[in-house]
Amino acid sequence: MNHFQYLASTSVSQAQQWLQDHAQSKLLAGGMTLIPSMKHRLIAPEHLIDIVKLSDLHGLVVHDDCLQIGAASTHQFVADSSVVNQTIAGLAQLAGGIGDPQVRARGTLGGSVANNDPAADYPAALLALGATVVTTQRHIQADDFFLGMFSTALAEDEIITAVQFSIPLRSAYAKFRHPASGYAMAGVYVAQFASGYQVAVTGAADGVFRWSEAESALAEQRTDLKLQHPGLLDDMHAPAAYRAQLASVMLDQAFKKLI
Amino acid sequence: MTSNRTMTTTQATHHDQTLSRQEDYKLVTGQGHYTADVHYPGMLHAFVIRSMYAHARITRMDLSAVAAAPGVHRVITAEDVAAFGANALPNALAVKDIHGEPQKVVRMPVLAREKVHFVGQPIAMVIADSADLAQDAAELTDIEFEVLPAAADIDTALAQELPLHEGVAHNLSARFQAGDEAATDQAFQNAVHTSQLKVVSQRLIGMPMEPRAVVVAPAKGAEKIKIHTPTQGMLGMVGNIAATTGLKPDQFEVLTDDVGGSFGLRGAAYSEHVLLVLAATQLNKPVRWVGSRSEVFMSDWHGRALTLNGEVALDAQGKILGMRFKDQVDLGAFNCYMSTFIGTRNISITMGGVYKVPALYMQSDLVFTNTVPVSAYRGAGRPDIAYAVERLIDHAAHEHGFDPIELRRQNFIPPAEFPYTTANGTLYDLCECERLMDRALELSNYYSFESRKQMSESLGKLRGIGLATYLEASGAGTAPKDQVIGEFSAAGVLTVYGVTGASGQGHQTSFTQIIEKHLGLEPQSIQYRAGDPSHIMVGNGTGGSRTLYGAGSAIKNLCDQVVGKLKTLVESLWTCSADQVDFKHGVFELRITQGADSNPKFITTQDLIQQLSPEQRQQLNAVGEAQSGTTFPNGCHVAEVEIDPRTGVTEVVNYTAVDDLGNLISPQLVLGQVHGGVVQGWGQAFTEQVVYDANGQLLTGSLMDYALPRLGQLPQIHHETMTVSTELNLLGAKGVGEAGCTGSLPSLANAMMSALRPFGIQAMDMPFTSAKVWAALVQRT
Amino acid sequence: MNISLHINGQVRAAETDDRTLLVNLLRDHLGLTGTHVGCDTSQCGCCTVLLDGQAVKSCTMLAAQAQGSQITTIEGLAPASTGALHPVQAAFSKCHALQCGFCTPGMVMATVSLLEKHPHPTDAQITEGLSGNLCRCTGYLNIAQAVKEAAAQLAS
Repeated sequence: MNHFQYLASTSVSQAQQWLQDHAQSKLLAGGMTLIPSMKHRLIAPEHLIDIVKLSDLHGLVVHDDCLQIGAASTHQFVADSSVVNQTIAGLAQLAGGIGDPQVRARGTLGGSVANNDPAADYPAALLALGATVVTTQRHIQADDFFLGMFSTALAEDEIITAVQFSIPLRSAYAKFRHPASGYAMAGVYVAQFASGYQVAVTGAADGVFRWSEAESALAEQRTDLKLQHPGLLDDMHAPAAYRAQLASVMLDQAFKKLI
Repeated sequence: MTSNRTMTTTQATHHDQTLSRQEDYKLVTGQGHYTADVHYPGMLHAFVIRSMYAHARITRMDLSAVAAAPGVHRVITAEDVAAFGANALPNALAVKDIHGEPQKVVRMPVLAREKVHFVGQPIAMVIADSADLAQDAAELTDIEFEVLPAAADIDTALAQELPLHEGVAHNLSARFQAGDEAATDQAFQNAVHTSQLKVVSQRLIGMPMEPRAVVVAPAKGAEKIKIHTPTQGMLGMVGNIAATTGLKPDQFEVLTDDVGGSFGLRGAAYSEHVLLVLAATQLNKPVRWVGSRSEVFMSDWHGRALTLNGEVALDAQGKILGMRFKDQVDLGAFNCYMSTFIGTRNISITMGGVYKVPALYMQSDLVFTNTVPVSAYRGAGRPDIAYAVERLIDHAAHEHGFDPIELRRQNFIPPAEFPYTTANGTLYDLCECERLMDRALELSNYYSFESRKQMSESLGKLRGIGLATYLEASGAGTAPKDQVIGEFSAAGVLTVYGVTGASGQGHQTSFTQIIEKHLGLEPQSIQYRAGDPSHIMVGNGTGGSRTLYGAGSAIKNLCDQVVGKLKTLVESLWTCSADQVDFKHGVFELRITQGADSNPKFITTQDLIQQLSPEQRQQLNAVGEAQSGTTFPNGCHVAEVEIDPRTGVTEVVNYTAVDDLGNLISPQLVLGQVHGGVVQGWGQAFTEQVVYDANGQLLTGSLMDYALPRLGQLPQIHHETMTVSTELNLLGAKGVGEAGCTGSLPSLANAMMSALRPFGIQAMDMPFTSAKVWAALVQRT
Repeated sequence: MNISLHINGQVRAAETDDRTLLVNLLRDHLGLTGTHVGCDTSQCGCCTVLLDGQAVKSCTMLAAQAQGSQITTIEGLAPASTGALHPVQAAFSKCHALQCGFCTPGMVMATVSLLEKHPHPTDAQITEGLSGNLCRCTGYLNIAQAVKEAAAQLAS
């Protein structure tokens, strides 16, 4: 990788200051996306600001019907947490299927959300669970947060500190893994609230999206519908029609394992 | 019914723990010594600047900024390589074409000069204080290309007006033929039924887990240039490096310690070997190059890339009258090493498979494309032709209403006709195809498949069963014989020096087992050293699955010689005559004659050697040798698959393999080879494929896009061996290394076709990815 | 940058670059070459070590990130004084779960971590537990067997 200076921050405000001071800087949490990109020299920040150990970015809080998870929580932490398993079991199950065990030991919720890879798992959960992204500056609703491939509403020096998930009656996640990368070729998060179902799809298009037709269908206990979406991915691994099909199958699987 | 003649399953021990192989202790404790582990003080690091275009002229190149970058010692270009006197990279075989004209051979230059021919082709090398600094410097390369139209596939290449290489019209390196065209044409004219099937054995990435690497230390005083690199036998690499660099073999040593897999890819010199020799000698410093995985994806020779178009002619009853093939061989951008061998000999010598085929003929077009050069990968054409034959037989059976089992049965070469010479001149020693197949049918519960199929269908799944009876020809070897040198130390430890080391096959362990059995020494008194520069002998490297029976036979011969010498010593010890001493199971025994009143006398090899003087021990030294040619491992594999039509995902629910691998020396290691080969076959059948776009850009450039098999994707393999010994070598063994993938490709494909055919899908090529299977089913329903 | 790490029960110090990966610190600076580099997309698992008890890919971490953590590499798995093997190492050999050995250190470390979490793993847990490790030689069947063998040994 190219040269950079490594800075281990001791507080969120220090990290923020450094972000403002150094134009070509990036936050480092788990590094599961950042480090490989830097190894391939696809990006070359001049400063890496390590925030993964900051206590303000860790912790679980349950209040009212909301579960708040610290941004630096690793996927393994979320998967194993009894609090998460008792409040939003589907979320724990999603976290337990991200990447592989070694990746889960380091990768973080905040990192995944900030990166917004179109095939990442967490964004589907945030959308389906009506989550709020808590940053150093504001609270951003999930619907307003994910703007497109690798693009979010975050400002340059804005740091995600936590994510607040609405606690559903039940939820589940099902994904069809890409045989090489392991990322979702279609990942569907289904959440059931008193007001109805919320369904989000990742991996199939250039960004995560809500599948409103599925939400209506599930209200009628139906999962037999085809995904129609203008931006379905079409590449050498899977044509658009196949991804649409996978989304349908994952919808069915997720619905059947709601917990 | 397992008729293994198993040899002693010897296990090494270390601190009272049982190890399956002697090699295991260092490998499980992280004390293996691979090339990237080699360290010299003051070592410099190299980085290769590679082409990002598939076909282009280099119109301008300025590396001055690279040379001036921090930590850089040297930048090497094609001019430097020419001044050094290096030659192009080796090509193992050139053939005469169909008109008797010499093949148009274009060897790969060490560094591209005016033109680049594939994405990944080396253009220059940077040597710096660290790998990071070398790569930093390489980013300053100022280079301009005039991009030319690329031919990334054979059809485009054959149609191309402006070829890759001057003088090679339509990129055709050669059109080759083998067999009897007239006789085969006649057979097809006489046929009642004919069938045709074109199959593609797609381009693959070999992917040994250890990335390619080279470390070179310059000559120092009396010490020669040292070249550390993974190989498949030191001698082959010595020859390659001598031929390309112009150095004499006595000026350098090739040192290979542990190798992280090879599968055919380590047999020859690459550009980096030559470049590092140049760099180390001219800078007078040790230099290291280790490829990154993405880099290795675009520079290790690729595998397979064959299109095999077969036809079979049958009489009214289904007896085969003839077979012919029209094949296309994608060479990649240059003739590298084994590609011609694969595209001519290897896809023709066993093109009749296990069948009695009176007339055989093939033609193959060897074509250049703007892609990574292709060479040997596990089986090197033999699994591919077995695949084509077995799919063709199944296809013909279904097309003309024959049962695929009975069609095979009536066409197997009958045991009484062995040794059998095929219509195109290959001599098979002995195969018992029918017995093997019957056992495989029994073991796989083949005839109760229908009930399992109905069960799958009731659950909304498709189910298929496929069988393949294969035969493959293991390596004939290029050296006139295999030799090993046995030397006893003063303390009585036997060190056997051989040409080839292992890359996972466990040669050390197998060779030890041979010596234990035939000489009677205990494992702690045996050592094996491969590629020791101070012990030169004649012999083959590893390739074509021949090492165990090839080098192993030489070791047996060595043992027999040592036993002979020991017998002479025993005779004087017991004051008896030669015919009174027997040697069996490591023990010398005095044969008691009738009426004699002497006590029985016996002594083990181990004890006998202990009684000798150091001088006597060293007089036991000998050179073992043997000539071992091609053997014909064969077998019957049965695969059963279940497909989820909603996703196109295929699960292999049963896999049965009955193989004839001759005498087994190390059954556990043999089974390990079968597992590895079957799973590599699974990978080709379901997930692996190199994809280039029309511009010759490598789309499957990393493991993010190239899907390797993972744990859990294959169920248990039910395996039995049925030993039909061979007399083609002293051990009676047949080569196992490539048998597993030879059986798995066709059995898995035939199983898929069995499941898909009811839906009107008559033909489909590998890989049977879930997307491809789903799309095919959707189109039909 | 001056790095000080706890590795295999010892404090080891090295002078490195900010951009030095943990795997390169181990291999090139500390001579612990048992941990291998097999890919550059963090998929093959050959570089797996234990960091504070969890299996991680050392090729996807900066050495700097490992400060303050306890690291165990393959060299530290078995007690050096006796030369005896850790049950996972012994099981891999017994079950012929290694051929070329290049993926083996990573496979062993991932297995150690898996068995700590699931002492009696199901087939599904073994598949998931080793989903971050690739092997090209063995075909995996013996590796799954070795995990079960090691589990049985550790339990007894």
